[in-house]
Amino acid sequence: MLEGKVALVTGGSRGIGRAIALELANEGADVIINYLRHRTAAQNTAEEIRQKGRQAHIIRANVGEPDKIESMFAEIADKFGHLDILVNNAASGVARKAMDLDERGWAWTMDINARAFLLCAQRAVRLMEGRGGKIVAISSLGSRLVMPVYTAVGVSKAALEALTRYLAIELAPYGIAVNAIAAAAVQTEALNVYKFNEKLSKTWQTTSAGRMVQPEDIAKLVAFLCRDESFMIRGQTIIIDGGFSIAPLIT
Amino acid sequence: MPIEIIEDVVRNTVTRITRKDISQFTRTTTFKDLEADSLDIVQILVALEDHFDIEVVDEELESITNMGDFIDYINRKVAEKTARSA
Repeated sequence: MLEGKVALVTGGSRGIGRAIALELANEGADVIINYLRHRTAAQNTAEEIRQKGRQAHIIRANVGEPDKIESMFAEIADKFGHLDILVNNAASGVARKAMDLDERGWAWTMDINARAFLLCAQRAVRLMEGRGGKIVAISSLGSRLVMPVYTAVGVSKAALEALTRYLAIELAPYGIAVNAIAAAAVQTEALNVYKFNEKLSKTWQTTSAGRMVQPEDIAKLVAFLCRDESFMIRGQTIIIDGGFSIAPLIT
Repeated sequence: MPIEIIEDVVRNTVTRITRKDISQFTRTTTFKDLEADSLDIVQILVALEDHFDIEVVDEELESITNMGDFIDYINRKVAEKTARSA
């Protein structure tokens, strides 16, 4: 249902981004995979996409650096000429309490998680001109719930969700729909940062739905938000958490 | 690429990102000596991967104890890349 579409997934080499890239390819999209450090993983994901009969292209770029974002979109313009879907998934952050945060850690986290969304969206819109498009940002429950050592990331995700609302209204006249997805803890390597906290790990492993959120759960929701059936959903942050946020103590 | 050049780039990158004087960097210096936190280390790896167009595998860093080991590791990765593109 996304045949002929060109999608960019930032942070698309591993984990949630990889699942999203593969799902968009399942639906017929050609996929550009942005990555920062894990080239082999990006190449492997691209190869899986090609095996589905879709085009795949990988671009190394630290989305925390505006000039790298500029270069990435120049490469996309040169290779594909346009863009239909932007999935703002790349994320990073320092795991510290608020009182232990320094300016560097704050800037690193905000630049990659929040500023990059603005800069990527601005450039993506130019490539969507005259054809419309879909923009989906990946957030997390830490934007509204307090989680241990998640301060910087949680705040950056709150900014991302607010920006989603503003972009949704500002870009609607151009035929561009903008939404976000906030997941509870997702079963990926990124969760290892919390492996020291056994109690927390156990809490997340169980939800009312009976399991943790998997990357594929998010990928299918992203694909839905990229299809025309979701036309009237604008500027929303959709929670996908197996019921965790409404009943964290009931499993 | 001569290892001296690689050592020079690693030394400059590590001391710039950890905000330490270049004189504090020797082959026996550790990341702990330089008070490098996890963000410093990520930024060092990103900078070196960018500079040399290599991929550092996090699991392979576990056996690295000091800057000498780190330089040798980066040197090996650069050599592997050169061999692949030859």
